[in-house]
Amino acid sequence: MGSLSPRLQHLRRTLAEIDPNLGPQFCEQARGVRLGVGAIDAALGGGLACGALHELAPVAPIHLAAMTGFAVGLAARSSGTSGTVLWIVTDFAAGEGGGPYGPGLDLFGLAAERLVMLRVPRAVDVLWAMEEALRCRALTGVIAELAEDVADLTAARRLTLAAREGAGFGLLLRHRASAAPSAAATRWRVSASLSEPDGFGGLGRTRFELALVKNRRGPCGRWIIEWDHHECIFRAPLSVAVAQTAFDRPDRAPAVRTG
Amino acid sequence: MPLADVQAMHPGIDVAQADFEADRRLLEAIADWCDRYTPLVGLHPPDGLTLDVTGCAHLFGGEAALCRDLVTRLARQGFCARLAIADTVGGAWAVARYGERAIVPRGEVDAAVQPLPIAALRIDLEIAAELASLGLKRIADLAARPRAPLAARFGETLVQRLDQALGREDEPITPRLPLPVALAERRFAEPIAREADVLGTIEHLAHELGRVLERRGEGARLIQLALFRTDGKVHRLEIGTGAPLRDPPRVRKLFEDRLAALGDACDPGFGYDVVRLAALVTERGDPVQTGLAAPDHEAELAYLIDRLGARFGLRRVTRLVPQNTHIPEYAVAAMPAHAALTLPPRSGGEGRLALRERCEPGWGRASTNPVTAPHPRPLPTTRFARGRRGAQALEWNEDNLHQDSLGVTRPIRLLQRPEPIEVTAEVPDGPPVRFDWRRVKHHVAHAEGPERIAMEWWRDRKGNTLTRDYFRVESHAGARVWLYREGLYGETEKPPRWYLHGLFA
Repeated sequence: MGSLSPRLQHLRRTLAEIDPNLGPQFCEQARGVRLGVGAIDAALGGGLACGALHELAPVAPIHLAAMTGFAVGLAARSSGTSGTVLWIVTDFAAGEGGGPYGPGLDLFGLAAERLVMLRVPRAVDVLWAMEEALRCRALTGVIAELAEDVADLTAARRLTLAAREGAGFGLLLRHRASAAPSAAATRWRVSASLSEPDGFGGLGRTRFELALVKNRRGPCGRWIIEWDHHECIFRAPLSVAVAQTAFDRPDRAPAVRTG
Repeated sequence: MPLADVQAMHPGIDVAQADFEADRRLLEAIADWCDRYTPLVGLHPPDGLTLDVTGCAHLFGGEAALCRDLVTRLARQGFCARLAIADTVGGAWAVARYGERAIVPRGEVDAAVQPLPIAALRIDLEIAAELASLGLKRIADLAARPRAPLAARFGETLVQRLDQALGREDEPITPRLPLPVALAERRFAEPIAREADVLGTIEHLAHELGRVLERRGEGARLIQLALFRTDGKVHRLEIGTGAPLRDPPRVRKLFEDRLAALGDACDPGFGYDVVRLAALVTERGDPVQTGLAAPDHEAELAYLIDRLGARFGLRRVTRLVPQNTHIPEYAVAAMPAHAALTLPPRSGGEGRLALRERCEPGWGRASTNPVTAPHPRPLPTTRFARGRRGAQALEWNEDNLHQDSLGVTRPIRLLQRPEPIEVTAEVPDGPPVRFDWRRVKHHVAHAEGPERIAMEWWRDRKGNTLTRDYFRVESHAGARVWLYREGLYGETEKPPRWYLHGLFA
């Protein structure tokens, strides 16, 4: 949006002042969480928008964890080192797909001290709790899991409006992709992708295959990215065999001491 | 008299089994209702209640008016009650059951109790009969006797009961419900039934309660709302908070959420005539200067947690707290968030690397046990690779010795219960080649392991828990799972079984 004429920018700002509900679409400075992958950040107009609702769904049930990992990575990137994230899940969804596990979350950059968990009995309670939580400015992110398809267009619209009042973004994790229209700012289909083994032939960095199927601020697209758990950032994958990781970068992770 | 005799005399008589449990519940319900007169209500099973009305009677227009009010209201509910007001618990007990007057004036309990029969002393009927056979029929006869022989023959209890009735020994009332620190209440001539009215009343009461608490420099951690229905039922709702609370709109909002969650469980019926708000637990809560620029995020978060807790129950809002164990399912405990808020922070804002290097009970590697794992980098486990990359990866490159010791070794989702799966492995002890989970076949591309996790010996009371060998496995689709084989080949008769325990991102 950098190419807009100053006059148009001024008009948009005036409009945003008149009707605050128009805010995020018209406000140039809308804060975004950068993923760290240039192509995706560009498509998202500078990063995943805060104060908005985003929907994630796995391509197949086995990719549920990949979607979780992507969401946790995003939440970790948004909250820095101190923000608090609320995770809402129904009893049923937790029974189906397991609950988020502390040590695993930590390796995705979200320290468990910063997480508050909420277990609710019914799926509609997820929507109520998410709406309340999105309004709370103390949270940097709200993650809600839905195993049932209860979030219709009205619900998503309500959540979007609530998210505009708050500080963080809302991530709606659907256990099954929904074909119904939604008011979310972006919709993602996430699946895991076969990773490159590390130097010992074991499992390498986690690799995600992302499909951005809806984007209000830019084009859609498909990417394969990796999670760098040292620096807590997403990266475009580099083949280990082709290019070694640079060791002389000034900001690289501190080397692990031995002995 | 035996039942057969009774039925012979009155053939049409109704017979019912005595239900002591139901009697007790009824007595407790009446005690709850009596809470409207005084917060200090004690039970005297099977059929008595003690109310401490010290300093309460004037609120109802004096002791006589209070008695009238109590008897009429109970009569309207279908109970026939006898009551007495006296200086001592024992005196009131005796006068209510055996006396004539309802109200014994101050200082006259001695005179009122002396002429009553000995059974009025709350003693066993056998002892009373024995005393009667000795010619001691009234309390006055007993009070005039030397005490030592009485105590020697009939036990200490008799003398103690005598002293308690005559006010020579103190007798505390054990309250049925915890005594509130502060309370505010409102009575209505016309019962209220609309939710908005109740909420408005709550806010008013919260104002009054807040003033009392402010004078004490405290805030409420546990607030109880008691709604007295006109037909005698009492609804009690409790709200716990994470931080000391005085703010009336917030109290109202918390109860609004709570009432919304309860729905029909809190049926107003014909309306409530008394609404009472009581602070059961308080804590020092000094006023905090709020900044103009930066909003107080901590307080806002505490409020959100309180609201979610009020709606769904405080045990449903949790924080994950690491435990000092290496058993995966026990390594995390969910603590109620409102309790965890008051805990000191575990790590003083350090990054996650620092946290892990300390090797303290925290998240981390499989071997974060401080005793067994002083090594910051775990020993390399055997890694298996299938397919093209295997041979290439085994080239022993100096750079590659920077093994990824912070690699993701714990899943991001842990199933509540490990799910049994079908697994095919090349060799019995080897990693899986194929596994079926929820009726879908997955082919393994890479596998890593085993990581052996045995039960801690001090937990394993029966000594029959099996060893688990965990494998991290990546399917051809890229999905990563955490599998384990329970038991070892050759150790048990049955072959080891495979389970899927978690999902990696």
